[in-house]
Amino acid sequence: MSFNNQNIVVNKRRMYINYCSDKKPLENLEDQENLENQENQENQKNRPLKNKINIDGKEIEFLPGDTIMQAAERGGIAHKIPRYCYHPGLPIAGSCRMCNVEIEKASKLMTACSTPASNGMVVHTNTSKVQKACTGVMEFLLTNHPLDCPVCDQAGECELQEYNYEYGPGTSRFSETKRVFTNATTKRLSDKITLNMNRCINCERCIRFEETITKSYELVMLNRSWEKELTLSNYESDENDKDDEDKMPTKGLTSSYQGCLADICPVGALTFNDFRFQKRVWFLNRQPSICDACSKGCNIEVHFENDIIYRYTPIFNEKVNRHWMCDRGRISYHDVEDSGRITMPFMNTIDSHLHSVEWMTVLSYLKSTLAIAKKVLIILGTDSTCEEAKLFINRIPSLSKGEVKVCFYNGTGDVSSSKDDEKIDYLLQMKDQTANTKGLELLGIPPLETSYVPDSTDNTDSTDSDVVIYFRSGRAGVGGRGGLELKLKSSASLFLWGVFYKKELDKAALKQIVAIIPGLMTVEKSGTFINCDSLSQSFTSAITHKGAALPADVIFQIMILENRSAIRS
Amino acid sequence: MVTKTLNVSRKHEIKEKFYLIAVLQGMWITLKYFCRGFFLWKSYTINYPEEKRNYSQRFRGMHFISYDENKIENCTACYLCQTVCPAECITIIAEERDPLKNPSGVWKEKKPKSFDIDALRCCFCGMCEESCPKDAIKLSRNYELATRTREQAIYNLDHLKREVKGRG
Ligand code: SF4
Ligand code: SF4
Ligand code: SF4
Ligand code: SF4
Ligand code: FES
Repeated sequence: MSFNNQNIVVNKRRMYINYCSDKKPLENLEDQENLENQENQENQKNRPLKNKINIDGKEIEFLPGDTIMQAAERGGIAHKIPRYCYHPGLPIAGSCRMCNVEIEKASKLMTACSTPASNGMVVHTNTSKVQKACTGVMEFLLTNHPLDCPVCDQAGECELQEYNYEYGPGTSRFSETKRVFTNATTKRLSDKITLNMNRCINCERCIRFEETITKSYELVMLNRSWEKELTLSNYESDENDKDDEDKMPTKGLTSSYQGCLADICPVGALTFNDFRFQKRVWFLNRQPSICDACSKGCNIEVHFENDIIYRYTPIFNEKVNRHWMCDRGRISYHDVEDSGRITMPFMNTIDSHLHSVEWMTVLSYLKSTLAIAKKVLIILGTDSTCEEAKLFINRIPSLSKGEVKVCFYNGTGDVSSSKDDEKIDYLLQMKDQTANTKGLELLGIPPLETSYVPDSTDNTDSTDSDVVIYFRSGRAGVGGRGGLELKLKSSASLFLWGVFYKKELDKAALKQIVAIIPGLMTVEKSGTFINCDSLSQSFTSAITHKGAALPADVIFQIMILENRSAIRS
Repeated sequence: MVTKTLNVSRKHEIKEKFYLIAVLQGMWITLKYFCRGFFLWKSYTINYPEEKRNYSQRFRGMHFISYDENKIENCTACYLCQTVCPAECITIIAEERDPLKNPSGVWKEKKPKSFDIDALRCCFCGMCEESCPKDAIKLSRNYELATRTREQAIYNLDHLKREVKGRG
């Protein structure tokens, strides 16, 4: 099997999540369709005559039904048209009037997001007429905008700031008092999202997101004009408690994709509580990676400073997650930063206590144990990358003369192989909470026999290995059936290798653990995951390893070549 | 790399070589100032802790953070001073202000949880003051920054809120 076939190369343009669209240049589209379904070739030949639109002198071919904005996206020049209410992943509203363009032979300016493109149209995006209209729109948007950028978390990635630099009037003629929503200045819409209504520009992206993507219909706009206010539709006011107007409604937002609301909101009106006030965005470094919280493998961008992760945001990938990602994945970076994570090598001494030891002590012990073992069982958590799995299959036999068996263990919920995996909601989330079950299956690794699993009814005695190595990256067997409570022969020595937490060790049978070898989480290593749809995705490390943890290939290098130079103190 | 030594020979005039004249000139200056101090009671030093020198109105000394009538600091933890500081001596951690303890409403929903200035690194350039959108951080004219330990020279928020008198 080759890992390089359908690799999604995460590129820089995808980073701007609100600007990425699946409207591709048509030439590429044709090639792809030709490759993918041969039967369609007949239709391809009978395709209607090419539609062409001229945007700023560039001839772009589009499909019937595309709007001017979508045609510009096909031509890769959509960034020339400013927009607030238009979002490539949402239905078109045409409410902000920011996307004005001048069309030759049309008497008035038209909105690019909602005007259908037609053959032979000539469009200009940057004439003085357009500039003047945009300046007018900006001035109106800013009349009531608080301009509290110093406090606002969106500052630095705010579309209002950006377009104001480009088109804004620079001064304000508005001398009246600004509108202030006293009850909705810092309003918790749920424990994940906070609304500051003063900053809202009424683009209604959030409402359309709730209507079409999550289908939860939890946000509505009340009133009109200046008083227009975003509120929860499931607000249930308490009749007896009239004074407490800004009380938390009974339910709040409930969908599991609330973080996306903060992503799509072009201003700082909706903010994600987990990131709120944690960091100014301009300090953050960005690195694309893959979310390992479920088998979907959403493309994410890791935002970090000085190797501390502050947030995950989604990257557009048409084949996997489009513009979205779930909240569980979004906050899963807390596991990387967890203070209870074991990042030093530990060994179990005679008094059944784990003691921190030198790298060479634990590795030479592992090497000597492997050398004399008769039966070695390698349990790979399904959160291991394909490269790591191959490494274990190839390297362990050279270290051990005994019989080596490699199998994988999922242990999240009642999932044991990719057959049990299924969608648990309407959008992305999968039941399997590890990223690479499919990948390990495709490598030909069998699942762990049920007799090892703690609460299984299978009592056949196959647990006869002397040495058991349990390798995982902090996801397999977490929150499910307790990955550490494997049923092993009492004399077997268990090596824990990878990411483990102190709180888990309390539960585990301590006397069987002989050593803990700290390893890396997904964002710290490079590798390949194969997601639930058999799509292979590669990623590179975003941050350097926490503590003394080392990548698996370096550890094998040390053990086999006795190459100590790789050890960091 | 081998270090090379290069000898440069400078030509001196005869007057310079015969340096007794320079010595006498120096002695004359010493004598002049001695006489001024001793007979005319004119001194060039001051009795420092009791007497203080008057510096320019624009002198930039120790920082302080201004606060409003409710004793709430004006700083909203926007990090602009931290961003602009060339010596990288400001460290801010932001947090949300408790809405109940927030009499000024909208304008102060965010506050610094900790605000440290490492005065040992600061070069007193005043860029923080210039960048602050809330006029919160300011430099006073206080130049008495001596401390007993290095730790005391790292000012925290309480220390910074003590002093409230700005420059002229
Ligand atoms: S939404 Fe944008 S313009 Fe408005 S306060 Fe926030 S950063 Fe500033
Ligand atoms: S909260 Fe944000 S996304 Fe929603 S309408 Fe206001 S500006 Fe648009
Ligand atoms: S005066 Fe200059 S060096 Fe000192 S804290 Fe301010 S910006 Fe930094
Ligand atoms: S620039 Fe002013 S408001 Fe912003 S963090 Fe610094 S002192 Fe506070
Ligand atoms: S983007 Fe076209 S009207 Fe809002």
